[in-house]
Amino acid sequence: MLYHFDAPGRLTTENLIAELSKKLNVQLVSQHYSLKTYFDSFDWRLYSGGILCEFNQSKPVSRLILKDCLSGQTLASADLDSIPAFAAGFSNAKIRKMLSPLLEMRALLPITTLDYTLYQLNILNEDEKIVLKIIIESYDLINSRISLEAIKGYDNALARVSKILIEAGLKPSRSSVLVDALKTQSRKPSDYSSKLTIELAPDLRADIAVKYILSHLLKTIKINEQGTITNTDSEFLHDFRVAVRRTRSGLSQLKEVLPEAENDRFSQYFAWLGQLTNQTRDLDVQLINFENYQNALPVTLRKDLTPLYDFLSVKQKQAQKTLAAKLKSSEYVIPLRQWEDFLKTPAIKKPTETEALLPIKNLADRRIWKVYKRIIKQGNRITDQSPAENLHELRKTCKKLRYLMEFFQSLYPQKKIKPLIKVLKDFQEILGDFQDLEVQEQSLKTYSAEMIEKQVPANTFLAMGVLIQNLDKRRCDTRNAFATKFETFKQRENQISFQTLFKNNEPDT
Amino acid sequence: MKIIAAFNIKGGVGKTSTAVNLAFLAAQTGYRTLVWDLDPQGASSFYFRIKPKVKGGSKELISGKCELDGLIRGTDFERLDLLPADFSFRNLDLVLDSGKKPTHRLEKLLKPLGDDYDFIFLDCPPNISLLSEAIFEASDILLSPVIPTTLSLRTLDQLKKFISHKKIKKLQLMPFFSMVDRRKKLHLDIMKILPEQHPDFLTATIPYASDIERMGQERMPLNAFIKNSRSTRAYLELWQELLEHLNSKSL
Ligand SMILES: Nc1ncnc2c1ncn2[C@@H]1O[C@H](COP(=O)(O)OP(=O)(O)OP(=O)(O)O)[C@@H](O)[C@H]1O
Ligand SMILES: [Mg+2]
Repeated sequence: MLYHFDAPGRLTTENLIAELSKKLNVQLVSQHYSLKTYFDSFDWRLYSGGILCEFNQSKPVSRLILKDCLSGQTLASADLDSIPAFAAGFSNAKIRKMLSPLLEMRALLPITTLDYTLYQLNILNEDEKIVLKIIIESYDLINSRISLEAIKGYDNALARVSKILIEAGLKPSRSSVLVDALKTQSRKPSDYSSKLTIELAPDLRADIAVKYILSHLLKTIKINEQGTITNTDSEFLHDFRVAVRRTRSGLSQLKEVLPEAENDRFSQYFAWLGQLTNQTRDLDVQLINFENYQNALPVTLRKDLTPLYDFLSVKQKQAQKTLAAKLKSSEYVIPLRQWEDFLKTPAIKKPTETEALLPIKNLADRRIWKVYKRIIKQGNRITDQSPAENLHELRKTCKKLRYLMEFFQSLYPQKKIKPLIKVLKDFQEILGDFQDLEVQEQSLKTYSAEMIEKQVPANTFLAMGVLIQNLDKRRCDTRNAFATKFETFKQRENQISFQTLFKNNEPDT
Repeated sequence: MKIIAAFNIKGGVGKTSTAVNLAFLAAQTGYRTLVWDLDPQGASSFYFRIKPKVKGGSKELISGKCELDGLIRGTDFERLDLLPADFSFRNLDLVLDSGKKPTHRLEKLLKPLGDDYDFIFLDCPPNISLLSEAIFEASDILLSPVIPTTLSLRTLDQLKKFISHKKIKKLQLMPFFSMVDRRKKLHLDIMKILPEQHPDFLTATIPYASDIERMGQERMPLNAFIKNSRSTRAYLELWQELLEHLNSKSL
């Protein structure tokens, strides 16, 4: 067992050791300078999963330690020279198995680094036997940490030292070193999430509220820009794209709020920006799915798919490079700065747009209800014979509703809107799958045409053929499941919930 | 969990040194290891600077009233614990005899420790007694240090007869030469002829060496105060040979 204490800033480690030495037989085993770096994904997946990932670098060895966030107990550790970018890069199986399901495709990034002096002390009894081990991490910027490692059968020593430490003004540790270190930079853990959290007051003027929402999205675009350019992992681009798409949706869904000229101009800009990122994202998805592709094939064909992976990797690198260049060009940078300036300009006193002065809650109700009704209408028209385009149209409408509900979440009781978002999300899943499978199938066909010129072995095409068949089969299954899913979505209970939450403020027309 | 008893009917042949040094190597290898000091003299407790004292003495211990786990103490070395001796262990035979199924008593007491330890080394007192029988029943391996003299070999034969007479199935006797003095012609002669009579002897041998004697002053296992010497290499060879035997058996 480990017991952790914080030393108050005024108490130096030397004084603490002197204090202990007055009362106990203290042996200083070692003292050396170390660096501690915390790692996590950009969106804090390890921390959210209850894991602290600590890399301690010092002269003899560097050690990676995974700790339980709450108890501070070590879950796994390994001696390493450096930290691989992805979970798959760890040779230690225990660490790999712990990190992979949390991190998935996200890269491990250094979050913050602290330097400290590490002291190892032993408390000895009259036989010079070790009865307690003490580890002191002495920091400059935050309180020093004292950990007591009890030795089985020597609880008295633990109790005695704990008492001396508390008398000297030490307190049991409340927060982790990571939290304290971030605090010195005015940060805290989980300060980025791809989820939208926008707090709005119901009677806020619509134009001000919409600008506020769009500013929030702009922040997300800018935060993910660098990681997209450096291709740190695929999810920077993903989050970047989602923010762009939400912005576009906001501009078109809330048209009568912002000045028309700006609205048109920036709509075009964000449409261009979305286009720009399509190819790289498609390839990213193919690469992420590659393992599934392989697993879906008979074992004997799996190896034949490797040339496809190589082809996709090369293509992804090219596409990513082109994208990165664009994101550094004035074509991208200048309009984005103008967009930022536009969002920053204070609201006009007497705007001409019809909905600019509405309380935002009214506008939200109106828009959400309207789009919801459209979904029901479009869905009702779809039969088993309807073409795929009808499902795609419906998918887009659902996405519009989803964005609106997320933008305006804070205007409604959480207990009411959250379940409805969930209902929508479940329904969107089947439409999304249907679309993704079609895109994947199409892309694979295009790639195989390109690969023919590259002297790829015939067996690879055979494997890709089986793969396309698999995808097609899944797409048909998805299509067949549509009717039931739609029934679930539009069931009476849900309709009533949507109606009571969003329709009530509007006079019936 | 494997239980290894360092045993010989004779005293002063290197039982304690074997138990202490091999347990240290086992822990260093990464195994969770326990030494149980069954000798009232408390020699292995002494080597680990742990007081030879057990609350309630042999009576409470054998009765099983208090669990062994509560009596175990951590040594100065990672993964290595010790169950200390107590002066009352001198009458362990009597205490065992007064209970039920005395020869299966130790086996039963040790069973709950199976999840906590990979290896348990029993440091046994000399002599052959009811306690020895209980040790034989509990152990997987009887590791027996033998000084290469004619008399030692006779006691080894006695031990073998005893074990086969008692029909203890799983126990494997593994004798090895201890305190070998290469300057003594007798030692060398015996070691030359012996493998023919006793093919079960391990090939690793522990030399007679002053650094092993020094464990008494240092009060720690040999490898904890000497990094590399003839003696440390000898114990390492003995440990590796033992591990190989265990691995080949479990395959
Ligand atoms: N290989 C060796 N070379 C030199 N001295 C040794 C060697 N092995 C043990 N000794 C010393 O011989 C004495 C007896 O050794 P040890 O205590 O290991 O034997 P033992 O069989 O456990 O004795 P006992 O029967 O008294 O329990 C000790 O003083 C020890 O330091
Ligand atoms: Mg002994």
